[in-house]
Amino acid sequence: MNALLAGILESGIPVTGMQRFALMIPLCLAVAIVYKTTRCEKLRDVPMASLVLCVTIVLGMYTVGIGLYVLFRLMV
Amino acid sequence: MPVAGFLAWLLPGLGHIYTGHRARGIVCLVTVTATFWTGVAIGGVPQTVNPHERQLWFAAQLCTAGNALTAYAITPLVTSDSGSAPRGAESAHDPPPAHWMSADIGVHYTGVAGLLNLLVIFDALARAEPRRGGKRSERHDSDGRT
Repeated sequence: MNALLAGILESGIPVTGMQRFALMIPLCLAVAIVYKTTRCEKLRDVPMASLVLCVTIVLGMYTVGIGLYVLFRLMV
Repeated sequence: MPVAGFLAWLLPGLGHIYTGHRARGIVCLVTVTATFWTGVAIGGVPQTVNPHERQLWFAAQLCTAGNALTAYAITPLVTSDSGSAPRGAESAHDPPPAHWMSADIGVHYTGVAGLLNLLVIFDALARAEPRRGGKRSERHDSDGRT
């Protein structure tokens, strides 16, 4: 157990391919939760507001990414 | 007021807890800390919290001082405990190789956690500040449950 923990802390977890896109989702969720925790008047509104913000960020970034990819393909 | 900011810098959410917003503080504590240590687990400590090669990212990580300094402090422990020489490293002083993508993602996670804590610090300072005339708004008296 200690060796496994030390191994993870030492050299991390290999992330390749499509996993890097999936790892954007928890990061966006963390940003949305903290932002909405500081902004919402009532804490009970935070979960839904965070989810909506997270989905908005993820869809927005994927849209920008796809748009830039298409633009790149057209220009090459 | 400065005490709330200092506590929030030291540990995410502690400033909110100090000013009486316990639930809000716990949410910030769990979220920021989980984000930071997820990044450390993805990238590995030596590559993620590295003030020599990633100065600006380390500055961002230092916005959550407790987490960043703890990660920096355990760096020599992690590298010495897991073997006499790091796997595949050129020398004992070089950090062990991680996939470059893992290291970059880990650095982004920890840097964003630090910057999120900056937001938490400013919010704790704003909530600690008394309103004009000594009257606080209703949201300062509780976590919005009333």
